[in-house]
Amino acid sequence: MSATALSPATAHYREAFERLRPQLGGTASRRVAAMERFAELGFPGAREEAWKYTSLRRLESRRFVPAAPATTPVDVPAAFVAQRLALVNGSPVGVVPASLGGFALGTLDTAPEDQLLRALGGGGTERFAALNAALSIGPLLLSTTAGQQSDDVLQLTLVTTGTGPTLASPRIAVRMAAGSRARLLIDHVDDGAHEHFTNAVLDIELAAGAHLTLYRLQRQGERAFHIERMEVRVGEHATFVMRDSQLGAALARLDTNVSLDGRAAATEITGVFLADGSRHLDSHIHVGHRAIETTSLQDYRGIAANKGRGVYNGKAIVHEGAQKSNARQVNRNLLLTSGAEIDTKPDLEIYADDVQCSHGTTTGQLDPNALFYLRSRGLSEPEARSALTRAFAGAVLARVDEPALARHVHDELDRRLVRLLEVTA
Amino acid sequence: MLSIRDLHAQIGVRKILKGVNLEVKPGEVHAIMGPNGSGKSTLASVLAGRAGYDVTKGTAHYLGDDLLALEPEERARRGVFLAFQYPVEIPGVNNAYLLKAALNAVRKRRGLPELDAFEFLALIKGKMKLMQMDESFLSRGVNEGFSGGEKKRNEILQMAVLEPRLALLDETDSGLDIDALRVVATGVNSLRSPERAIVMVTHYQRLLDYIEPDFVHVLSDGRILRTGDKSLALELEKRGYDWVKQEASAA
Ligand SMILES: Nc1ncnc2c1ncn2[C@@H]1O[C@H](COP(=O)(O)OP(=O)(O)O)[C@@H](O)[C@H]1O
Ligand SMILES: [Mg+2]
Repeated sequence: MSATALSPATAHYREAFERLRPQLGGTASRRVAAMERFAELGFPGAREEAWKYTSLRRLESRRFVPAAPATTPVDVPAAFVAQRLALVNGSPVGVVPASLGGFALGTLDTAPEDQLLRALGGGGTERFAALNAALSIGPLLLSTTAGQQSDDVLQLTLVTTGTGPTLASPRIAVRMAAGSRARLLIDHVDDGAHEHFTNAVLDIELAAGAHLTLYRLQRQGERAFHIERMEVRVGEHATFVMRDSQLGAALARLDTNVSLDGRAAATEITGVFLADGSRHLDSHIHVGHRAIETTSLQDYRGIAANKGRGVYNGKAIVHEGAQKSNARQVNRNLLLTSGAEIDTKPDLEIYADDVQCSHGTTTGQLDPNALFYLRSRGLSEPEARSALTRAFAGAVLARVDEPALARHVHDELDRRLVRLLEVTA
Repeated sequence: MLSIRDLHAQIGVRKILKGVNLEVKPGEVHAIMGPNGSGKSTLASVLAGRAGYDVTKGTAHYLGDDLLALEPEERARRGVFLAFQYPVEIPGVNNAYLLKAALNAVRKRRGLPELDAFEFLALIKGKMKLMQMDESFLSRGVNEGFSGGEKKRNEILQMAVLEPRLALLDETDSGLDIDALRVVATGVNSLRSPERAIVMVTHYQRLLDYIEPDFVHVLSDGRILRTGDKSLALELEKRGYDWVKQEASAA
């Protein structure tokens, strides 16, 4: 592809990549191939189905500077759990401990094979996964050994920071060995000082009988752009659980792709998002049932207010031969004020005959009878609205079984709801 | 305490209250009886501040203030309490949270300090015992999965906790068996005092055996057609409402 055919934004990242390349580790040819893939795909056009409700025009108009390897630690918010590692623009600073919170830690340099730069094909965020593969620094590898059981939680705080608008490309691989059990908390933050762009990739693999719970908190600043791609492969009798809280950034898009590859593989993906202010939050979840007796549950609750916009696209595909599978999808949305909008598209494709599938989606406002009941007891309108909104989110938040994190999300919802409801009441 | 003059209210174009007059003084207990659809719940709702009603004529004053100008929460904080005919189920909003938030809102308005969790629990336990409610109700969602009788008891529990000046009870007796009725009546009677007034909407004389009213009113087609003492309730029980309507139209 000739450089002249590239859009200005794409050309910008390719040039920046050339400049940065000497500082990046890994296999140079793979990075170059990844960059070429990004250049080929470019930014999504207005017609692209996967970006129907989310425009990247603003993101494309910016020229973020890809981060170089970080050398100095930065301030990060207090940890929710005892064991925490902070990554600055995707790279660990200083010596990485050999193990922490139930995982063995490695980087690309020490990883047995260069498996992290595997191209992640398909979907609307493939281009960004490729950009990440080209630019990610010191990708982190978390692994367990067969049968290892841990009740600890490892928290990764991913902070995006820079002296100007910065592109951070965190890349994390998780390899759960057969029969192992672990918990991981990923907390996305930024310095709030500039408009930053975080382009993250998570690549997760669970071998037979493994169990991973992933808590995710996206609480980046009001001006942040956040795009994230999560690829999860789940083996026989293995279980992947995600508890997502999408609260921050100006524009965020998360693609979670879960492939249930082995017999009786299971996943449970629950989450809540709060699109207040002029926030735009887009979650795409794609679960592929590829083996018999696989089960999936998706339960997302969205709240939008002011000029906030939410997008939820949940898809489950039961492939041929995935008999006796069970796929459930629930998506409930709440519009708190009249300017807000949530676009939802539950989607079920079934190519097997002996399966159980269900999906349900609702979008509505707070129940006026409940509101009056609470006010007739003396609660102010903002209090009553926030109590009902918390109750709405609470059904999903109750599953966040890590107390400090759950408390944070509850408090954050409270704080933001009371503030916004007082303004609009 | 409560002074209603020529109150007219409608929903959309449908006229429901067509000139209600009612005077309630501190310490009094009033019963409002009347056929289904006569406007009893509408009257209670308008007084509590539910949205959706147009008051086209008339006034309602409470302790000298224009009640209809106040937000529902402000009415509650000033001591107006409505026990709902159909209490609302609110899953996810904790019963204890509501009781505490409501009590503290009322206390704040009265210039009293907020209760901490410990003081609150001490207070609530006694009231729950009175209403024969198990403490496990506290941790459940508001009215969530409560039986009909439990919902009504919960309404009276809230009333006992909030200690209103003016209590409006909308068919708090309907759907209760005789034991539950006794419990509810005990709760209501525990609140009778010279400073407090109670207006209860009911269909049945039964409740009035337990909570003796000073006045009985017959509301029919949006108007109070007749007012008497408790013997009127007995007469209504025997003769129904038609004779009241006939005498009123003859007059
Ligand atoms: N939301 C509403 N819209 C239209 N009509 C209503 C509404 N609520 C009540 N009504 C009507 O108003 C009249 C009075 O109702 P209500 O006050 O509930 O009577 P009561 O409590 O005495 O049985 C009834 O005819 C009822 O159908
Ligand atoms: Mg009624």
